Amino acid sequence: MRWFWTLLVAAHPAWAQPALTPEEQAALAAAFAEPAAPPAAPAAPSANPDIALILDVAAAWFDGEPAQLGGHDPQETGFTFQQLELTLQHAVDPYLALQANIVFHPEGVEVEEAFATTLALPGGLQARAGRFLNRVGRQNTQHPHAWAFVDQPLVLGALLGGEGSAGVGVEASWLAPLPWYLVLYASVTGAEAGHDHEAAAEAEAEGFEALPTARLEQFFPFNDDWSLSLGASAQLPPAHDGDRGQLYAADAYLRWRPVASTSRLALSWQTEALVRRLPEEGPTHEDRGLYTQLVLDFAERWQVGGRTEWLDEAEGDARRRHSAQVSFFPSHFSRLRLQLGLDERTDDVVPSAFLALETLIGAHGAHGF
Amino acid sequence: MRLLASLLALLVAGPALARVKVVATLPDLAALAAAVGGDAVEVTALVAPTQDPHYVDPRPSYVLALSQADLLVVNGLELEAAWLGPLRLQARNPRVLAEPGYVDASTAVHRLGATATVDRSQGDIHPGGNPHFTHDPRAGAAIAALIAQRLAAVDPPHAAEYAQRAEALRGRLDTLAKATRARFAALSADQRRVVAYHESLAYLLDWLDLTRVATVEPKPGIPPDPAQTSRVLQAMKSTGVRVIVQEVYYPARIPDTLARLVGGSVVRLPGGAAFADGETYEAHVAAIAEALYAALAR
Repeated sequence: MRWFWTLLVAAHPAWAQPALTPEEQAALAAAFAEPAAPPAAPAAPSANPDIALILDVAAAWFDGEPAQLGGHDPQETGFTFQQLELTLQHAVDPYLALQANIVFHPEGVEVEEAFATTLALPGGLQARAGRFLNRVGRQNTQHPHAWAFVDQPLVLGALLGGEGSAGVGVEASWLAPLPWYLVLYASVTGAEAGHDHEAAAEAEAEGFEALPTARLEQFFPFNDDWSLSLGASAQLPPAHDGDRGQLYAADAYLRWRPVASTSRLALSWQTEALVRRLPEEGPTHEDRGLYTQLVLDFAERWQVGGRTEWLDEAEGDARRRHSAQVSFFPSHFSRLRLQLGLDERTDDVVPSAFLALETLIGAHGAHGF
Repeated sequence: MRLLASLLALLVAGPALARVKVVATLPDLAALAAAVGGDAVEVTALVAPTQDPHYVDPRPSYVLALSQADLLVVNGLELEAAWLGPLRLQARNPRVLAEPGYVDASTAVHRLGATATVDRSQGDIHPGGNPHFTHDPRAGAAIAALIAQRLAAVDPPHAAEYAQRAEALRGRLDTLAKATRARFAALSADQRRVVAYHESLAYLLDWLDLTRVATVEPKPGIPPDPAQTSRVLQAMKSTGVRVIVQEVYYPARIPDTLARLVGGSVVRLPGGAAFADGETYEAHVAAIAEALYAALAR
């Protein structure tokens, strides 16, 4: 019943009195408005961490047998709760910063990342300790909401695992004192079953197995509008009988963002290629794959993208997948994405369609380049 | 071998030639730092005056600049929140993480638009206050004084020089601010009204004693839809206001259409001084006031 009175009061002609002067209307409006804080009040600097909550949900349709590899991918026709990600970050003290990404999904809670980063090591050095995503390739260190497509590239799922390559360990990096940006990373984490390689599952039975990763990253700003980031990574995954395999990744990210554009026009081209050799009884297993994607931000709130992928695993035939997406951003904090896919496998060709919604609340820290 | 020799030479000669390295996010802040620092500093601006400072690509090359900086001057009030944080973290440079090397310009200015209640259904608002204060020379003078203080802290031998330049700049900016305000006061009350595109003119309007009758964006950061656009058109027609003001990095089509329909004009303000081309902060502020005056007086 209360809604009725609310409506009645709101519709009352007194509120639209044309006889009132603008000054009188403003004075009345001010009298009804909530008292504003004094304008000079300084924003209280907060010692609380920056907290954000990100929800990713999707509706999916497959015409055939789905064979998605990513842990957060829509896996079958219907609705998918991709993830609810809680991120917290803040400086601990003048020497360390802490960042944590905790992911909630129907199967439970997972600490995707939680690590401390040094802030004041000399000589361009920086170290991280905790659980983090290994720096193998480009997209592996990005969280799903920073991806340009609803699902994980096939090659990352097949070679690094559905949740990507991550583990508990330490990492050191060095920013070289050169005229351009060049950083070297080296890390050791514990190999984890289900996160890294099938081989890690075997290895886990034998106790702790180290997973060393190294990466070289460079950045070349050609001018205000064009720039290129290049990376090369290597990893030595534990394999059969204490042996080690090798995994190599190369990635390139070319970006065009005209600084004089009034519509946030931007074009980015991202490519990653990975190859992994695992010694087995008999011949060495070699799995390889790549993907390349082009994403265009063509208007203030609109984006389109295309991606093509190729995966060739030692066990099984080559597989190709093509995807196209169009995204609408109602604001900086929400996104609606429609993605169409065509998965070409030897035995089957499976078209698919996803509609994914992402929303973010809180103070989410910025993303990397 | 020659490379090694020249690198060694650089290392030896480095400290002798060392100037204080200042990195500023916005071109206005860079121009102010250059005016205060003079020959004793070397200033880099990360953002171009044509770029929307809310949306900047966090280029890794900025990490390189920050890693070598003695002073980092930021606008603050979350204007750079979408891109600056990780760059500071990756810079491996404790000088840009805390005072005195980290200079938040918003701490020096009298803030407008701080709100008691905040949620993003109101759009992309900045809870601590409106962050677009560098259009106002009075804010510029206050920021220059803060920069002088901090430069003195990281480079004590030149402290007197910094203080003297900041004081001289304050005098010139005060004169400019007063003279320009007086000039605008001579316009009729009807002429001293504008339509804003984004909620970014609060300080400019406060300085020049202008009134905003409407804002083209329905809420900060939300582009205008047809309903909002027709409301703005009605407001312009009913009030007779014919001047729309926006920064160059906002879309031009809707404001251009509105201006055409009422026979008015759009004043496009650069996001800041053309620092890379050597424009000073004073020249920039004088130029935006001049452009605005020309449109209002018409």
